[in-house]
Amino acid sequence: MTFTMEQPQTTSESEKSGPTQQTSPRADFLKVTNFNFYYGKKQALFDVNIEIPARQVTAFIGPSGCGKSTLLRNFNRMNELINGVRHEGDILLNGRSIYDKKIEVIALRRSIGMVFQKSNPFPKSIYENIVYSLRISGVRNKATLDETVERSLRGAALWEEAKDRLHESALGLSGGQMQRLCIARAIANQPEILLMDEPCSALDPIATAKVEDLIHELKRQFTIIIVTHNMQQATRCSDQTAFFYLGKLIEFDATQQIFSNPGEKQTEDYITGRFG
Amino acid sequence: MNPTHILTSFEEALRQLRNDALMMASLTERNLENARKGLFERDEDWCNTVIADDEEIDTLEVQVDRDGINVMLRFHPMASDMRNVISTMKMSVNLERIADQAVNIARRSRKLIARPEVTEIALLQPIFTVAETMVKDSIRSYANGDVELARGLKERDRELDDMNRSFAEKMTNHMSACVELIPSYMDLIFMARFLERIGDQAKNIGEDSIYAVSAEDTRHTGPAVD
Repeated sequence: MTFTMEQPQTTSESEKSGPTQQTSPRADFLKVTNFNFYYGKKQALFDVNIEIPARQVTAFIGPSGCGKSTLLRNFNRMNELINGVRHEGDILLNGRSIYDKKIEVIALRRSIGMVFQKSNPFPKSIYENIVYSLRISGVRNKATLDETVERSLRGAALWEEAKDRLHESALGLSGGQMQRLCIARAIANQPEILLMDEPCSALDPIATAKVEDLIHELKRQFTIIIVTHNMQQATRCSDQTAFFYLGKLIEFDATQQIFSNPGEKQTEDYITGRFG
Repeated sequence: MNPTHILTSFEEALRQLRNDALMMASLTERNLENARKGLFERDEDWCNTVIADDEEIDTLEVQVDRDGINVMLRFHPMASDMRNVISTMKMSVNLERIADQAVNIARRSRKLIARPEVTEIALLQPIFTVAETMVKDSIRSYANGDVELARGLKERDRELDDMNRSFAEKMTNHMSACVELIPSYMDLIFMARFLERIGDQAKNIGEDSIYAVSAEDTRHTGPAVD
């Protein structure tokens, strides 16, 4: 299932920018405009403006509490599950507001998949983990389900390791395999965007390399936004990087630029380990 | 002034790299100065000192490489830190070459002073002064992050090239007039050439200093050479 807009937004609109905004070199796909977010009285995001291009990997970096995960969770409106939150401004996917009253949140979340820091497979078989959302959507055709399982596991580079144990418990997989299963589960819905919140922080270097290699492959099909505390991971995986500090977007530019010669002193101080 | 790194071992590793590089720079400057004394004071002892002290500079070049690799391996430097590590390692290569040219000058000087003095040696003085000052300023530009001083080295290198060309022409003319002094004139021509190369290497250090401070790559950006 996809979440698309009948009339894509024009380029001229994407060129509007606020004082803290910096546009990436590619056309906007996911666009955040004048976005403020509050947990009750506490403001977590301040006037964020960012345009995230399609089919690329965008990394969000910044010290803990800077708002990067908060923004990530706003993209599929997961923050609405928390009491007392509110927002100002807008987030546009393909030119259409994700807060549009006609939007079904469930459909939006299918369109914007998410992978978390800690892998969270259901206590079911590998096969059932993948087809879970299809089953609750009413898909019963076995050929369709089988095809989805194979496609998703291949997409998550897990097929060769899992094809002979599809009906075994997913909880028997290694940590790295579980995380890739969660990625397979997320892409089973063929989302447009894949959100990854520190997807490798609990993995060993080999499993991390496999997930990073997978991210490189997945960006051919999906737009990926990854939150990471690992600078090297951001440099290896992402095409552009956004640096957040105290709820503000400080700088957004090509990853190579950010890590070799950032424009803002706060970015420089953070990535060189002088504060954080 | 940048605040220090949170990780003190990273701060210490960067300081070690810089200190070793500056020590190497200081010894290179001293060796070039000693080569000057050996040549113009016709003192073989200074020439021998230059040749012997080069070993210490070679050892420091290896040490700077080790320091740089250590920083990259352990701390994965980013942004200005990364540029500083790269520039420092490149500077040490240029310093080692400058020190080698000082050794070449000292070796030629030993031959030259074994023969009767030629008055034309005075013509080499200004070339030596320009090359030596360029080396001092290139090191200052690195140590102080002085981009403007570094930028000026490019033009001074072109002036040094012209001085060397003009000197070689004069010596060639003198050779036809006084053939018995040809070996001494040849030594002087070679020494001017070594000094011209020293100017190139000082200019390279200046370019690396600019990169370290501003991330600007100024190599090969001068006017085309005829």
